Amino acid sequence: MIWRRPLQSLTVRLTLVYMALFCGSVGVMLAVSYVAGVWRPLQIVESEIRSQSDRLVQTYRTDGRDGLIRALARRAAAPKGRLPYHVLVAPGGAVVAANLTDWPVAKGPEWRRYEFGTYATGAEEEHEAVVRDLALPGGYRLIVGLDTEDLDEREDLIFEALSWGAGMSVLFGLLGGLVMTYAVSQRLEAINRAARAVIAGDLSGRVALRGSGDDFDQLAATLNEMLERIEGLVASISRVSDNIAHELRTPLSRLRAELEELAETDDPAEMAARGLAALDEAGRLQSMFEALLRIARLQSGPAGQAPPVDLSTLLEDAVELHRPAAEDRGQAMGADIADGLSVPGDRDLLFQMVSNLLDNAVKFAPAGGNVALTARTDAGAVEVTVSDDGPGVAAAERQRVFERFYRIGGAAQPEGFGLGLSLVAAAAERHSAQVSLEDVGPGLRVTIRFARSG
Amino acid sequence: MHVLVVEDDKRVADHVVKGLKGAGWLVDHVADGREALFRVASETYDVVVLDRMLPQVDGLKILQTMRATGDDTPVLILSALGDVDNKVKGLRAGGDDYLGKPFALSELLARVEALGRRKAIVQETSELTYADLEMNLLTREVKRQGRPIELTAREFLLLEHLLRNAGRVVSRSMLLEAVWDYNFDPQTNIIDQHVSRLRQKIDKDFSPALVQTVRGMGYALRT
Repeated sequence: MIWRRPLQSLTVRLTLVYMALFCGSVGVMLAVSYVAGVWRPLQIVESEIRSQSDRLVQTYRTDGRDGLIRALARRAAAPKGRLPYHVLVAPGGAVVAANLTDWPVAKGPEWRRYEFGTYATGAEEEHEAVVRDLALPGGYRLIVGLDTEDLDEREDLIFEALSWGAGMSVLFGLLGGLVMTYAVSQRLEAINRAARAVIAGDLSGRVALRGSGDDFDQLAATLNEMLERIEGLVASISRVSDNIAHELRTPLSRLRAELEELAETDDPAEMAARGLAALDEAGRLQSMFEALLRIARLQSGPAGQAPPVDLSTLLEDAVELHRPAAEDRGQAMGADIADGLSVPGDRDLLFQMVSNLLDNAVKFAPAGGNVALTARTDAGAVEVTVSDDGPGVAAAERQRVFERFYRIGGAAQPEGFGLGLSLVAAAAERHSAQVSLEDVGPGLRVTIRFARSG
Repeated sequence: MHVLVVEDDKRVADHVVKGLKGAGWLVDHVADGREALFRVASETYDVVVLDRMLPQVDGLKILQTMRATGDDTPVLILSALGDVDNKVKGLRAGGDDYLGKPFALSELLARVEALGRRKAIVQETSELTYADLEMNLLTREVKRQGRPIELTAREFLLLEHLLRNAGRVVSRSMLLEAVWDYNFDPQTNIIDQHVSRLRQKIDKDFSPALVQTVRGMGYALRT
């Protein structure tokens, strides 16, 4: 994929950008050394020539032509630092005085850098000088300069370095880019492959890890975790829909049986009884659907902003509502509710949650047993517990009881759908509350811990 | 008593109309929203039973139009959107009661009856009586055959609701809504134990028993 549209590939673009940056920094480095090693010294040379030539012009004005020639000779004989050069040309073009054999005959700009050869040691030597070309009164032309061959060499060196540096940067950049692009595309391709497998329907596909713990491994690990979760969710969804289909069979076949009996009987009393029984079954089916829908909506809908709910009053109402049912079974329902508890949330939903827990507790506590509800603040969090002294829930079953249609011990309890705790779990999640089960030997304690207090 | 049923599903509408007629109501039925708007504007009803999802005009639109024109006929909203959020939305739009589909006809009849009565009794009384049972809403005293009966606050509310609907069936969910004021689905018929406590107090030592169970429907105060 990367090779087909190279400019759209991130690695190719990164390579190009890095290459440009490399070239740029080589350029900047050389520019700095050019300024420090060539340009600045040239400026100094120039100002030196300016002051020397100004003095020579002054000499010409006061001492005339011969005075100037003497001054030029003195200057040429006693060089201070850089080699001094001069040429004095008469109005007719004849050279009056010079320590250069080769000089710019054509009149050029006042300042220039002039290259020439000398034969001082027999072989031709390349030289460069900065020269000032002046017109003197009386038609004379004076050229004064200082040798700058060292600066010229340095300049050449810098330009050479620049071209090499740029060339190498481009070369290494391209090579590095190719290697990087290849490596990255290999890793990306592994992720793409896994994703395509998942899209094609194989949810068990995972991205292979290299084990180096680098960025790609971390990304792959995160993706794998996500895939794990998706696979789990899909599995639980299909399990739930399987369960729904399965759970529907029993009440539907009972409903069907009642209706068939109703169609066959002639006895008015039995007809009425069958009709009512069929209605009861239809009612059970309806409640089951409503509970399922409610759970589904709770799990999918957004939580939104919730007003604070007076939890203390709500819990007292719930206990008051359930106490007669417990007393009918000879059970004592105790309540220890702190005053002024409040959590943000949905009043009806919280009531449903507590009601389901109390209902279960009454159902599982033995006749003559105890059911208790407590509510208090613990380290800033509101904690509600509902406990009973019934058989409890085996450790192995504790996570499963929150699943839809799960019934403790697999027992078919005619009055329950196995949805009560699922709804509790969904409602708790909606309120950012944690539900935990523990054994209080004998019996079960359900704890709901609200993260926020309102 | 005159009721308008606005419901587009023919099967459901027939069932409801038949039930209401059987209970002694004069029933009009329309199947679409525009017709419904025309009817409520041109005639006076005691109760309107309004389906939320209708062809042409949304049920809630009809309700809002009625309320905007100062028509305060009690409205029972019927809806397949039976959850609490939608219920709140319906009541906020001006509905007086809300019933999710599918519903039991008895539940619908009980609710329509309650709405019809609400319009009939406009003035507030301080005394509710039925047979030899008296309830004073100000002093919170309850007497039967002149003998005072001690009730808890909740039992008082329960009896008050039964008394206000004396002679008519009140469903369990109507009692839960009116007396406990929480919208939720109890897993068991939790209300039965409360009614049986109330019965202990007002019926046990007296005759005849006033609180009657109506199989498959709910409760009623009857002699």
